Amino acid sequence: MPNDQYGVGASLLRKEDDRHLHGRGQFVADIKLPGTMDVAFVRSPHAHARIRSISVPPAAHGRVFTAGHLPRVKPIRVISHSAGAKSPPWPPLATDKVRYVGEAIAACIAATRGEAEDIANTVSVDFETLDAVIDAPRDRRGSRHPVHEQWGDNLYIEHTLEGGDIDAAARTADIVVTREFRMQRQSGAPLETRGVLAYRDHRLDEVVIYASTQTPHTVRVALAELLDIEERRIRVVAPDVGGGFGPKARLYPEEIILAGLALQLDHPIRWIEDRGEHLLTTAHTRDHHYKVTAHADRQGRILGVDAEIVVDAGAYGLWPQGPFHEASMVARALPGPYTIPNYRARHCTVATNKTPLGPYRGVGRPGACFAIERLVDEIAREVGREPNEVRVLNLVRPGQMPFTTVGGLRLDSGDYPESVRLCAELLDVPAVRARQQRGEQDGRLIGIGFAAFAEQTAHGAAEFASRGASIIPGFESCTARVLTDGSVVLMVGIQSHGQGLETVLSQVAAEELGIDPARISVRHGDTESTAFGFGTFASRSMVMSGGAVARASRMLRDKLCRIGAHLLQCEVAEVRCADGVVSGPQGSVTIGEIAKVAHLRMDGLPQGVDPLLDATATYEPAISTGVFSYATHGAVVAVDPETGFVDLLDFAVAEDCGTMVNPMLVEGQIRGGVVQGIGTALYEEIPYDEAGQPLAGTLADYLLPGAAELPAIKIGHLHTPTPHTEYGMKGMGEGGAVAPPAAIANAVRDALASLDAEVNETPITPRRVLAAIRQAREVRR
Amino acid sequence: MKAPPVDYIRPRSLTEAVDLLAHASVEARVIAGGQSLLAMMNLRVASPRLLIDIARLPELLGVADHADTVSLGACVTHAAIEDGRVPDPSRGLMPRVASTLAYRAIRTCGTIGGSLALSDPAAEWPAVLAALDAEVVVYGSSGRRLLECTEFATGIFVTRLASAEIIESVRIPKRSAETRWGYLKLSRKAGEFANALAVVVADPAGEYYRAVSGAANGAPLVLADTSRLLAEGRRDPDALRGAIGRDLNRASDRHFDDFQRNLHSVASMRAVQQVLV
Amino acid sequence: MTSIRLRINGAAVADEVPPRVSLADFLRERRNLTGTHLGCEHGVCGACTVLVDGEPARSCLMLAVACDERAVETIEGFAGDRVIATLRRTFHQHHALQCGYCTPAMLITARDLILRKRTGSEREIRDGLAGNICRCTGYTNIVAAIAEAAQEIGREAPNAQ
Repeated sequence: MPNDQYGVGASLLRKEDDRHLHGRGQFVADIKLPGTMDVAFVRSPHAHARIRSISVPPAAHGRVFTAGHLPRVKPIRVISHSAGAKSPPWPPLATDKVRYVGEAIAACIAATRGEAEDIANTVSVDFETLDAVIDAPRDRRGSRHPVHEQWGDNLYIEHTLEGGDIDAAARTADIVVTREFRMQRQSGAPLETRGVLAYRDHRLDEVVIYASTQTPHTVRVALAELLDIEERRIRVVAPDVGGGFGPKARLYPEEIILAGLALQLDHPIRWIEDRGEHLLTTAHTRDHHYKVTAHADRQGRILGVDAEIVVDAGAYGLWPQGPFHEASMVARALPGPYTIPNYRARHCTVATNKTPLGPYRGVGRPGACFAIERLVDEIAREVGREPNEVRVLNLVRPGQMPFTTVGGLRLDSGDYPESVRLCAELLDVPAVRARQQRGEQDGRLIGIGFAAFAEQTAHGAAEFASRGASIIPGFESCTARVLTDGSVVLMVGIQSHGQGLETVLSQVAAEELGIDPARISVRHGDTESTAFGFGTFASRSMVMSGGAVARASRMLRDKLCRIGAHLLQCEVAEVRCADGVVSGPQGSVTIGEIAKVAHLRMDGLPQGVDPLLDATATYEPAISTGVFSYATHGAVVAVDPETGFVDLLDFAVAEDCGTMVNPMLVEGQIRGGVVQGIGTALYEEIPYDEAGQPLAGTLADYLLPGAAELPAIKIGHLHTPTPHTEYGMKGMGEGGAVAPPAAIANAVRDALASLDAEVNETPITPRRVLAAIRQAREVRR
Repeated sequence: MKAPPVDYIRPRSLTEAVDLLAHASVEARVIAGGQSLLAMMNLRVASPRLLIDIARLPELLGVADHADTVSLGACVTHAAIEDGRVPDPSRGLMPRVASTLAYRAIRTCGTIGGSLALSDPAAEWPAVLAALDAEVVVYGSSGRRLLECTEFATGIFVTRLASAEIIESVRIPKRSAETRWGYLKLSRKAGEFANALAVVVADPAGEYYRAVSGAANGAPLVLADTSRLLAEGRRDPDALRGAIGRDLNRASDRHFDDFQRNLHSVASMRAVQQVLV
Repeated sequence: MTSIRLRINGAAVADEVPPRVSLADFLRERRNLTGTHLGCEHGVCGACTVLVDGEPARSCLMLAVACDERAVETIEGFAGDRVIATLRRTFHQHHALQCGYCTPAMLITARDLILRKRTGSEREIRDGLAGNICRCTGYTNIVAAIAEAAQEIGREAPNAQ
């Protein structure tokens, strides 16, 4: 039963807040160790070049470290079990070649970062430049200077996903709609950039690495292998992390280099990424090209979809999963939450001389949603119906659940059509239509657009195995411990970087143990003090870690009841554990008293019960194909047809993530994700020039949405608990970022309906809007 | 990124500052608010060896309200103008412009003189002061010079400031109560540099009409034909649009692409319309 | 090295610093006041915002040596400050922070908006936050928290500056 005050379902205020409100958070750059030296990197200014020589002036000798100084360090290499996957070795410091602007060549060490940069500027590298591969669709089959010479082409992997009979569908369809879609390259851009602080702890004989990472345990796994030292001699700590969103859920060269140097140099060393480096070297994201054809009947029922998907994945694979999942995720998600029966998706993942591509909130789903939801709107136009009518016509209905889509995703539960209806209600469609009719004084054109999607969350073994992954993040773990005074510590393998997991996991334990969350501490992010886990990404933490906390807490509760019943001299069946006590028919005993017996007075324990109150549990949901949240997003825009500027007037989300453990935090995740999706839709891109130079090097070029550009985000909830998880909860962290590009593009389309112009590329910039208007005018002539 | 090594000195008078600038044996720059210069140094696109801090020089902070002009010291901050803490000769135009400039925390430090001296093409003050027919008073080893704002900037980050000269103040003619002005800054994100700027000042009592296009790939662009039509009392949109088009086309050295030309044309027309309403 | 004397959070400080060092790095590395954060070092993101002589300023775009004889306030200060205390409470109640990285600067900017009475409408608050990026919250709750704090401060002392 949900405890209104602090259990599952309570909007408990966050325990994390106090330190941050007082500036007492502890991010990597805040940690001070005596004797720390700072690192600056010499990085490649070229997209593709051979290194002929590296010259270090005498004054800098002993301060500059190249690959040759770290001979025992192995290159990063992703292992994929997918057929035909090609995985290049990635030396953390470049050896003979550089393959993207920003690739690290040498580490320079000094007392301060500024001085380390001064040294880096004196190092000169002799390059022989090569042609840069920057056009993924054009150069996938080969180029004059392929990114990886031994490949023969520039393909990491290609594959075709098929279901039903797309050619038959094409023959019978009355309506055919074909479009090309493009999502431009982006950065996840958390406000805290990456950072690493490493040192040798002689007492414990280990190397300690503080890193701004979402996945400390797996970073340890990788470092052990690549540095060839045992895991017991490595400790990885993610302290406070200022946003992750996916790009920090990968292993980076800097972590390996700093750890390797810490072992050699025997003083702490630190590298704090600056924003320019971040835009250059932290995983880039999105960068997709699609050509998609939808076949439909005259009612708008989609009979089949035929897609070509190209992912521009950059120069190397980021460990552990590499670039191998992105295109296949797009392919699987592109049929959306629809009953489309016939499908073909030919997808390829291309190596280019650009920054390696990594996961970012939604991963393949925003692109997939962009494509299918734009097509739904265009089909609606073709058949003369409202887009949402066509949407609902094709959506999987509650009665059809569980439903395996033609993309292979097993949708488990929910009322998708209801989310469309609720979203339209939140935006008051009739009022928007009336406003459109009236017209704007200033000449702007109003438009409204929607997009629906289902989000695969907390997927586990089956899903990752089907992707050919060599590391399967199919479970989470928790060690729960009651201390001698009755206070509780939960040690978990996930890593909270803004999601409020210190609060919400306490709520789960409070639900099971009947102890106030204020008496529960959550330890995460430190391989030293937490059970093994995979970290926080893929909308998994609430379900996986929450489930592990629930199981471990129940194990503790059972032991508390056994001991309590013994102390109360009654049967175990007669006691219950709630409100901080175990109570029976004739009295109660506090958890603190039981804990004292379990630790300090074990002579009071019943026969067969061992001392301590310590329980470790793992958890995976009942199904590992994922539990699916879903939502419909809606956007109202005003487009200035003279300048191409797009203003966002209103935005609403109608969502269902099953049981919400903390509704306040759920809404926070939705709004944060939506604004990132708006960034994708309207503002954020990193263009590359012909020579492979990235053209957004500062936040003056890479525009992040601010409060002034945004409306308040409206949210409505549906509740369909899933039977496959504890409490019926589903993951939902990424969903907010999935649909805004599609909803906004559909709104712009609606606004420009009278001009018959459409923009099928993100971000939807003024230039692209005007180009679309101009192109539509030319077509009409 | 961290700034490169640099020396720093804070002179106590304008004369001392000019002396230091004139006799520096290394690359020396004056620093006032530092909001542009330090960003450039942090990115290592500027590497002076000596910074001469003029932010607190009393000669540069003075403000004078004369009969026909207002004089603002070079180190008057954007925030002071925004807040109305200094006299306003422009009937509300300058405080309005100041409020759109970057962000408050930048405005509390950045100065009007700094903006003029840097002459970033996308900056607001060069265009606005050109529209207001202001003058720049510069001070150097050979004394003071007066320069018209319309001719102060000669290109992107290039001005008529000589190597050992410092902007002392800006002199702005006071506009009459009949003045109408139009101002439009087009940018996607609040506070970022403008994609297009347009400033129009129409003062019938003072017989003064000027339209200026800013963020125009160079020095502020005075729209001469447009200004003339406004002076003649012309109000028909087609004629004004045509004049704007001619004025922009004349500026072929700006290398506008179609998008930019269109944006400047639309911005200028809308600023003109604000005046005509 | 240049000698400087300034006030930090009300306390007199005398120190030596190379001229190239920003106020942000001086505070963080030299004075161990790590509540002020760095997000870009080119003045856009706002995470480094502190008060200098009572006004918000980008500590990444100020030299420590230029703060000689000035008064600096960081998030670690504001002891007894009614506006900051109210904002801390409303931020907490409205879930106006997630990772916490933007929060110290957000509080300092919000306090300035309230004191300058720039919180009369949602539009005004949003415009006032243009110089503070948050990547986590989507801003809705931050705006609500500031609006509530402003109302409360306004009720307590309607005529006070």
